[in-house]
Amino acid sequence: MHILQEIYSKRYLIRELVVKDLKIRYSRPLLGFLWAFLSPMLIVLIFYLVFSLFLQVRIKEAPFLLYLMTGVFSWRFFQDSLISSTTSLIDNKNLIRESSFPYYFIPLSIVFANGIIFLPCLGILIVTSLFYLRGLPLYIVLLPIVLAIHLTLAIGMSLIFSILYVKWRDIKYILEALLPILFYLTPAFYSIYLVKDRFAHLLFSVYMSNPFVGILNLYRLAILKGFYPLIKEDISLLSLVIVASSFAVILLLLGFYFYKKNKNTINDYLSY
Amino acid sequence: MTTSLTKVAENNYNMPTNKVIELRQAGKKYPFVKQADKKLRDDFSGLWALKDVTLDVYNGEILGIIGRNGAGKTTLLNIIAGVISATEGKVYMNGRVLGLFNLGVGFQDELTGRENIFLNGAIMGATKNELENKLSSIVEFSELGNFIDMPLGTYSQGMRLRLGFSIIVNLDFEILVIDEVLAVGDILFQHKCFERLMDFRRAKKALVITSQSMDLIERICDKVALLDHGKLLFQGNVTEGINKYRALLNSNKFFVGPDQRDMDLVENTKKWADDTSNWDKELGTKEVAIEKVELINRFGCKCSRIKSAEPLKIKVYFKAKNSVKEPHFGIAIFRNDGVYCYGPNTKFDGYKIPELKQGKGYFVLDYPKLLLAPGEYRISVAIWDKFETLAYNYHAGYYKLTVIGKYNGGNELLNMPFSLYPRNYLNFKRKYADGIDLSLLNDKWENKFETEQINAESVKLLNFLDEEKDIFITNKTVKLIVNFNKLIDCRKNYSFWIGLYRDDGVYCQGIIPALNRGKSFKIAFPKLPLLPGGYRISLGIWDMRMQKFIMYHHAVYPFRMVFNRADHGTVYLEHRWKWGMIE
Repeated sequence: MHILQEIYSKRYLIRELVVKDLKIRYSRPLLGFLWAFLSPMLIVLIFYLVFSLFLQVRIKEAPFLLYLMTGVFSWRFFQDSLISSTTSLIDNKNLIRESSFPYYFIPLSIVFANGIIFLPCLGILIVTSLFYLRGLPLYIVLLPIVLAIHLTLAIGMSLIFSILYVKWRDIKYILEALLPILFYLTPAFYSIYLVKDRFAHLLFSVYMSNPFVGILNLYRLAILKGFYPLIKEDISLLSLVIVASSFAVILLLLGFYFYKKNKNTINDYLSY
Repeated sequence: MTTSLTKVAENNYNMPTNKVIELRQAGKKYPFVKQADKKLRDDFSGLWALKDVTLDVYNGEILGIIGRNGAGKTTLLNIIAGVISATEGKVYMNGRVLGLFNLGVGFQDELTGRENIFLNGAIMGATKNELENKLSSIVEFSELGNFIDMPLGTYSQGMRLRLGFSIIVNLDFEILVIDEVLAVGDILFQHKCFERLMDFRRAKKALVITSQSMDLIERICDKVALLDHGKLLFQGNVTEGINKYRALLNSNKFFVGPDQRDMDLVENTKKWADDTSNWDKELGTKEVAIEKVELINRFGCKCSRIKSAEPLKIKVYFKAKNSVKEPHFGIAIFRNDGVYCYGPNTKFDGYKIPELKQGKGYFVLDYPKLLLAPGEYRISVAIWDKFETLAYNYHAGYYKLTVIGKYNGGNELLNMPFSLYPRNYLNFKRKYADGIDLSLLNDKWENKFETEQINAESVKLLNFLDEEKDIFITNKTVKLIVNFNKLIDCRKNYSFWIGLYRDDGVYCQGIIPALNRGKSFKIAFPKLPLLPGGYRISLGIWDMRMQKFIMYHHAVYPFRMVFNRADHGTVYLEHRWKWGMIE
């Protein structure tokens, strides 16, 4: 509660930090903010070429392009947030040493900044889906909840990794190695049924308990018309929400526990 | 707006309302996590960047923190600003703290000056409204003009200082902390900063600054704290603190670990000099090096023994590596057990040496009469800088001197001239003195022992105007009058003894008038040369047959000496300085 109060009372500082992050990122490039869409779109394009045209991957749940876009966009948001916030305390050590403000604002603001970049991507996705599938599912009302879960998860993990990184600089490389694995473990460009057919029941449950699988499916369910009816018999909405949200809450609490524990000492490790 | 630390202070602790910073035994130890070299790791793991610092700062005070590089100044500032937390001890702040640390810290090169104002201000805890209201005064104070809309990467150090300083001084705070940055600004801006800082002082805000510019510290601070190796060596008066810091600069190597003796030197040069364990040691920057020291007796010959109360010249040869402006010479004499006899220097004597040119030279200290009692002595020789704080070369207790004379049984220190009245008492026989065993008085300080037969009725000290006093001026006449209740017949193997002691128990001089008979004795010191401090008078009557005192008043009569000038030691000895260069 104290933390929520703090966030609310210092919302202006968070806003400034978010603006600073965006400005630093997009004020110098010629194409500016356009890169926020361009880079994920380019990835989608490459994946589409490789998987759909060359490898002839076909998916029954949804059109492959839309399936790919939901996967790549939401993953990009998560990955960018995590990677840049992991090093953020060190990157911004000058800010932290300047004044005694709550330093978790820094990873927090980076996740928010990435969220802001993610929003227009989401808009493009919804518009594309609207035209491609001639309509949106009713589940779109769930979209804010899905976003909230996703954001919470990203904040929790960013906080944990950013604090760990200050003391343990290997984290960055471990993360760089693990994130692609995690990406391939989520059904970004392959059907869940591919996994279900291969894996035994127990193993599939383990696979499904990956919060990113849950979040990705929730995005699809909320945006892609006709997605949920197709998978309804195998995967329930409730289980998706519960798995993802409980993960998100636990990681967030863990993150703040970490913060509280290291609050007073972190500055000693920032110098070098 | 306040830091969490502040909140603790406000809720659980009641400080006096005018006290804004309170540190109690605060210490800081940085974690040195990874060091490949195990030895290095061990060396540093026990390193306290700050240790046992107790400090108070009140409203409207400017505290300057001085010390060498790495002494812990920035750590202390960071703790005060709440940026880092103390490992041990207690830290209380009363009010909002703002800090201006390294230049450009917290600034983003990609953002413009204006954007940085908002970001920086927000980090400092200001609200949007506050910043928007103050924006124009910040920009105006910084005098950056159109540069305010240029990215900060295009700014010079001085411009960054202008921006940083303008932001913090325009925000609200109770405590302001500034680390070594003001020197970057040009003279006009510095002047403006000082004016603003003075405004803050008038507005009863507390300021804490560090600087290597003693000039600046002297100009604006109300008090200073001197740090070295994380320890607070001194806190208080600015001039005194700066002098101590200059003295600290003596030890030319710094990162070799704290040497307790160096610190003692800072705390009390005299005490350090008194410490016989420092003898035979050498100190200083050696810009001027002492090459040879000669002791010369009254015949002009080199010697190591002279007779008590005879002339002594101490001639010191030195070599100056570079030319040195306004140096000072000092020579101190100690008794072999460390008692400081006398340490004159050219600074105290107001003797000016305009410049030592590069090359060889000498100086001479000439004592027409060395009023020291027979015994073994040590001599320290020093060449100091203008302020007598930085030693160019200091030979502590290097040189030995033996004073010979009549047998010195009671371990006297001095041989001061005196006269006894009436005149016919003026033949004192030392052999009587030899018999008195003063060790019997060892634990009788301030004790009286009397028998019914003989008693001292009155003991009076008179100044040169024959007024009874207990404070006297060095080098003026002092008379001592002792009256007994009956005649003392010293032919019956009695000795009458008078002892002069320093307050700390050092036996200065004993007087045994070999009188025949008498009831009243008068002793006059035509020029009592004792240096400022407290002294005691003892008297006693010794029975030579029984080998004991039949009465004594040991250290019962106190008096003080004052002097109209500064001097070190126990006794003032007439002296002259002379110096020259050797072509």
